[in-house]
Amino acid sequence: MATANMLLLNPLANAASEPAKETPIEIELVRSVLEGDRDGFSKLYHLYSPLVHGILLARVPRAEVDDLVQDIFLHAFKKLHTLRDGAAFGPWIAMIARNRAVDFHRRSRETVEITDDLRGSDKQEARAAEILELIRSLPHAYRETLVLRLVEGMTGPEIAVRTGLTAASVRVNLHRGMKLLREKLGFTEGL
Amino acid sequence: MNDDYLWDKSGEPDPQIQELEDILGALRYQPRPLKLDGSLSARWRNYVALLAIAATVAVALLAGSVWLNIRSEEPSIPAVAYVAPAPPIPGLPLSVSTPLVPKRRPLIRVKHDDQEALAAKQQLMFALRIASEKLNTAYRRTQTPSQIKNQHKAG
Repeated sequence: MATANMLLLNPLANAASEPAKETPIEIELVRSVLEGDRDGFSKLYHLYSPLVHGILLARVPRAEVDDLVQDIFLHAFKKLHTLRDGAAFGPWIAMIARNRAVDFHRRSRETVEITDDLRGSDKQEARAAEILELIRSLPHAYRETLVLRLVEGMTGPEIAVRTGLTAASVRVNLHRGMKLLREKLGFTEGL
Repeated sequence: MNDDYLWDKSGEPDPQIQELEDILGALRYQPRPLKLDGSLSARWRNYVALLAIAATVAVALLAGSVWLNIRSEEPSIPAVAYVAPAPPIPGLPLSVSTPLVPKRRPLIRVKHDDQEALAAKQQLMFALRIASEKLNTAYRRTQTPSQIKNQHKAG
């Protein structure tokens, strides 16, 4: 199961089965940034900050997410010259975000996460934090896709394009993840 | 079950998914401006480090040259001509005759040397302190905000 999840998360594993969509705007933006245009990077930031936010929200405490988003984009700005293919900006920054989340957990204690996330300013936010905890208890491959779909409001095809995963992988992750989440929430499937 | 709505929000909306979307929407990303100004690019960061090293070396060289200048400006110890003792005067006892060697004044000379050396040493120490401060400042500038933040967290 874990191996299957890893395969679903790895864009290269499915590259042969389904060709990646072309994203010329990223290529142009990356090129312009490398030529010194900072506005180009602001556009990349606006395009991809919900993705990075969603990836982090599936992994680290909410209170840390906003600062980490900024850190990740600053890091990406400094290391952009190492990106060979501008079209791969999405998968590249998604990988940076996942690695940063791993680093965060390596340095911090688990107790911080629980106390931090259950604190909501109102009832709805508290309920949202509870559901987010349930999503975080799902397998890795499902939690990220579900957060991007249910929290960030991205569609399946958008998730596929932004993360570099195949559409089929995202669809499977959404379907299976939603099934597990319904069970945890006590929802009756097919309502 | 048809999961078109889950996939691309098309087809008949799923009320459970809509409810989850409504609740979880409270956690959605709120756009914030990206602050790139506070950070230097990696290339400039390298330049700053190199400049810091160059400045340190320059200050050290300057201090060394000042110190050497001060040392070279000191009056050299005057050469002392050896004056042969006068031949003994006949009729006078040998013990009376004294050689005409001028007496040196070593104590005064040493004191003067010490003062200049101390002044030079103080100048050198001052220059090295400035160099050290410059290096520290440059090092702090090369630290990224995240590194500083992480150091705080680690601390």
